[in-house]
Amino acid sequence: MWKYKKVILVKDTDTGKETVRFSELFNSALRDRGLDGEVQVIRSADINVYNQGIVVKIIPGNITYSKVEEKDIDLIVRKSIKKEEALKEIQIDPKDKQVRIVLRNCGIIDPENINDYISVDGYKGLKKVLEQNDRDKVIAEIKISGLRGRGGGGFPTWMKWSFAKDQKNDTKFIICNADEGDPGAYMDRSVLEGDPHSVLEGMIIAGFAVGAKKGYFYIRAEYPLAIARVELAIKQAREKGLLGNNILGTQFSFDLEVRLGAGAFVCGEETALIASIEGKRGCPSPRPPYPSISGLWGKPTVINNVETLANISPIMHKGGEWFAEIGTERSKGTKVFALTGKVENSSLIEVPMGITLKEIIYEIGGGVLNNKKIKAVQTGGPSGGVIPEEYFDTSIDYESLQNLGSIMGSGGMIVMDEDDCMVDIAKFYLKFCVDESCGKCAPCRIGGKQMLELLTEISEGKATFEQVDKLKLISKAMQKASLCGLGQTAPNPVLSTLKYFEQEYVDHIKDKKCVSGKCEALFIYEIIQDKCKRCSLCQRNCPVEAIPGDRDKGYAIDQKKCIKCGKCFEVCKFEAVNR
Amino acid sequence: MAKAFINNIEVEFEKGRTILDVAQQVQVKIPTLCKHKDLCATGACGICVVKVEGSNRMLRACCTAMDEGMKIKTHDPELIEIRRTVIELILSNHPNDCLTCGRNNDCELQTIMADFGIREELFNKIVKEIPKDSTTRTIELEPSKCIGCGRCIEVCQNVQNVWALSFLERGINTRMAPAGDIQLGDSPCVRCGQCSAHCPTGAIFEFDQTRNVWKLLQDPDIHCVVQIAPSVRVAIGEGFGYPVGTNLTKKIYAALRRLGFNTVFDTNFSADVTIMEEASEFVERFVNKKGALPLITTCCPAWVDFMEKYHADMIEHFSSAKSPQEIMSTLCKTYFAEKKKIDPAKMKVISIMPCTAKKYEISRSSEMSASGYQGTDYVLTTREIIRMIKQAGIDFNSIPDEESDHMMGDYSGAGTIFGATGGVMEAALRTAYNFVTKENLPKVEFENVRGLKGVKETAIMINGIEIKIAVAHGLGNVEYVLNKIKKAKEKGEPLPYHFVEVMACPGGCIGGGGQPYGVTDEVRMIRAKGLYQDDEASSVRCSHDNPFVKELYKDFLGAPLSEKAHHLLHTKYVPRPEYKK
Amino acid sequence: MKLTLNNFDEETKNVKKNNKNWIKVGLSTCGIAAGADVAFATIKKVLQENGSDVEVIRTGCAGKCYAEPLVEVKIEGMPQVVYGNVNEEVATKIVQKHVMGKQLINDHIYLVKDA
Repeated sequence: MWKYKKVILVKDTDTGKETVRFSELFNSALRDRGLDGEVQVIRSADINVYNQGIVVKIIPGNITYSKVEEKDIDLIVRKSIKKEEALKEIQIDPKDKQVRIVLRNCGIIDPENINDYISVDGYKGLKKVLEQNDRDKVIAEIKISGLRGRGGGGFPTWMKWSFAKDQKNDTKFIICNADEGDPGAYMDRSVLEGDPHSVLEGMIIAGFAVGAKKGYFYIRAEYPLAIARVELAIKQAREKGLLGNNILGTQFSFDLEVRLGAGAFVCGEETALIASIEGKRGCPSPRPPYPSISGLWGKPTVINNVETLANISPIMHKGGEWFAEIGTERSKGTKVFALTGKVENSSLIEVPMGITLKEIIYEIGGGVLNNKKIKAVQTGGPSGGVIPEEYFDTSIDYESLQNLGSIMGSGGMIVMDEDDCMVDIAKFYLKFCVDESCGKCAPCRIGGKQMLELLTEISEGKATFEQVDKLKLISKAMQKASLCGLGQTAPNPVLSTLKYFEQEYVDHIKDKKCVSGKCEALFIYEIIQDKCKRCSLCQRNCPVEAIPGDRDKGYAIDQKKCIKCGKCFEVCKFEAVNR
Repeated sequence: MAKAFINNIEVEFEKGRTILDVAQQVQVKIPTLCKHKDLCATGACGICVVKVEGSNRMLRACCTAMDEGMKIKTHDPELIEIRRTVIELILSNHPNDCLTCGRNNDCELQTIMADFGIREELFNKIVKEIPKDSTTRTIELEPSKCIGCGRCIEVCQNVQNVWALSFLERGINTRMAPAGDIQLGDSPCVRCGQCSAHCPTGAIFEFDQTRNVWKLLQDPDIHCVVQIAPSVRVAIGEGFGYPVGTNLTKKIYAALRRLGFNTVFDTNFSADVTIMEEASEFVERFVNKKGALPLITTCCPAWVDFMEKYHADMIEHFSSAKSPQEIMSTLCKTYFAEKKKIDPAKMKVISIMPCTAKKYEISRSSEMSASGYQGTDYVLTTREIIRMIKQAGIDFNSIPDEESDHMMGDYSGAGTIFGATGGVMEAALRTAYNFVTKENLPKVEFENVRGLKGVKETAIMINGIEIKIAVAHGLGNVEYVLNKIKKAKEKGEPLPYHFVEVMACPGGCIGGGGQPYGVTDEVRMIRAKGLYQDDEASSVRCSHDNPFVKELYKDFLGAPLSEKAHHLLHTKYVPRPEYKK
Repeated sequence: MKLTLNNFDEETKNVKKNNKNWIKVGLSTCGIAAGADVAFATIKKVLQENGSDVEVIRTGCAGKCYAEPLVEVKIEGMPQVVYGNVNEEVATKIVQKHVMGKQLINDHIYLVKDA
């Protein structure tokens, strides 16, 4: 038996420094009243409330207090521990901002055990679909739900299915696009590793709805665990009669196969993905025809992203209307984001559409790392853009993000602070696209490379404003004349940083200055002799032995050896290193 | 018929046609560097983008089907600016070697640069040095000049089914190269040269041997004999501003003499000789049941190479008769040398061919030297001879007609149609009919084997017996014919064909890989028409009626398939690996 | 046994083993990279040493990447909690203190599920 009756969780949600002291204060207050045998005081690592001073949570009962001061402690013990009363003045009601549909089972069930999935209503959506045995009804339900593609494009899922369904062809295919490749994005991997059957079920339902007998899981080879778990899930589903011939004893047959992506980012583009499955070079082809009309081996093919498919079973099981209640007018349901970068809680989150960036960063993410000043949030990966702080109240939905010059994308969300240089960020994303361009069409192949060269000149202080004009010229040509989404959106990070952070470009070009200290070519490290206390810390920390000297003669940086890593700048306690 | 608007002009069109196509109907030319009429659109260059009312996106005219009611704008300042930027980007990735480039003055990139008035380079040059590949000694790859349009790969893989060329690497490093990054000479390349004929720039070019020939022509001790292939006569004019398909046989004879060739023969004559041998071979196999059926023609060296690499199991079906080029060269160094008392060691034979693979054929096996000497010494493509004539300051357009040298210069109508798909078959049938029935056909034309349909299947009656035939052109069309034969053989079913003609290039030699640029089906039809007109105008329509051919057999060879004929005019085939290493 | 529309409800009614006490370890790539496999093995080992029959379950990623490896513990009568940053030492503590000693552990609680 548990020896305590109650727990007091304590956490200093500002600096974390006061957690220990306050828990000790609680302990002594409990001792004073002879309650220390009944109540355990626990220093919590995270209490899911941020920047609210000392937060205290009492369990059971879930009474939460914020901004607790020393004077409150005795009162809390007297009222809320001895009795069951709450102190209204400092009580808060923290709401979980997350809504988990796609991630409903992740971290809850054993992904390698089909029975675990079945025990949480798994395959009930499929069962309902096969009982109704009406393809149009399935598509109508998806239409009611308002579900849109979660791979980034936001195309209505029911339309894709409907186009493919209407094609008169005995052979049709369903493809699950699990070629997740945006830097900093790992939503799909988590779903496949944590709940593979939910995606399987979505694919089987899609197969039924459009009249396909065969589906492919296109998973990037860099996800070995996801591949293993999907393959196991396929095997288990076959054994249970949920996949293969005569699914659940009906006339409907559908089977799945895993195909591995060989590491090309562009293969996440649907026509390139199809070429890759066909065994060809993974290059995009012109659309139309769209895959739902003529896709894999020329047959009607529905390509859905992992997250989209994971939504299907709950929609079928609970109804489209239930789903449509979540989210905004035009963007329904939830979106999974991989929240990373300069944020306290790097995490995989699922939020209802319509939530604001502010809520995500401060109420889920716990705010900016190390209390630095936030600069922007990047969404949509290399196809997206940066959103500056003044727009953090914007609702997250497909249209709003697009209006800001970014995109929803597949779900990467990277927080950037004052140490991030926007020219450098633009360069990083552009370099990614240049490396990943398939090379097929001239605007992307050459335009991307030329833009990267221009940005490099800017970041090295070798540019004039002419370079900016050229960047804009190429951007337009790439957006309009590139063959696929990769090239069409590759200029977005450049354009959006230019739009919101033009001053940083001006700094680099006119003043030859990088205020964030990221663009190496634009600064040199120097030791200010007046301030130097000759402690030798910089010398000892320099990784390339570029700081000769001793305590008598003093220290100086050998610029020829210096690699501008910034270590000396970081370690100096006397601000004697200048940059 | 559907209706739509292009630049506010109403246009009626058949559904399924592209915007690029339909625009031409209303005299609107949308520029493009990657789309070629012969080939499926790759969408690579991005220059043909157009606006469609109601959409923010721009569409590629080359590969977007025109839709009912569409309102297309093909030219406005914004579109022109985008196109110019793309063109400037392509320029930044292309060497400025125009003056020393084989395509100088005949380059699609150069033309578009000129049209857009690009006067200075906006962007830094990003050109990677990639070494030339001359290993086939027929076609040269110069990947640094490649603009990545993908035509060569499209034609190599999807039209010719050879799969020698592909794209390697990605992004800015993407380059056209033999698959597996090997040398072209070690690849399955059959040297058809269709890649070079479709390349918009100088990235793929015929292996130029004009200097070697100039050297021979200057040597007083050498007797230079020249022969011209059937299809050259109706294509050469395009290099001198003549309308497509103009037959310029006699001007070519005259120009060749002025270049310094001592004797001017015509490959049409040896085509007649090929027919004597091949028709006899067919009769031998068909009537006398000696040898495998169907008999398959072998005049085309790219086809022979393809077969030896990909279908060596069909060797027994191949006609052993040499190609007209090789028959001519062998006869020059034997029959002609003997009669004119010229030391064959001091005789050189140069042939003017529509073809890059002919450069390979001259050394493909030891039988090519059956005369005791290398048969053909050099092969020049039509494109090369045009350049030589220009270098020599010959005013081709005004030069008076001349005759060939008679001994092996006169030809029948059957010989001249060798240059078009179906021509070898038609010529062979004319003679085979005579060999079986001892009579000439009342009507010598076989319309069913003419034209540009990929595979033409038909049958004719000789002496009440049906002969089933197939004609395929474009190597991609061969698979269908061969599979049919192989299947029938496997199952022991009656043969689908008795006689099959294959030419590697679409349209046959008139569309050969060494012909003047800009070939489309329209051009192929007109060039072929030029040959059929030459045939009609000939007094002799059948190979066996050519008096000089009769003389050759009477004076020298004896009879078709005689031992001497076999030794000099026939060859053998061996399986060859697709990849050398 | 293959499922059919007819037998689905009957066959799936009792698929879930009803364990009172269990420990879930997030074993996805992210967790494993942070050392979840060590935590998983340690917990199993120490449970065995203590003769405990608490079930150890492998799950996917629960989303709190900043606190990986994550371990969720449910012991009857106690608050259901998620521990984060579970290294070998903490994993051992989870068994010894939480499972066996019936006490929560300081400094590693990241979430208390509805108590």
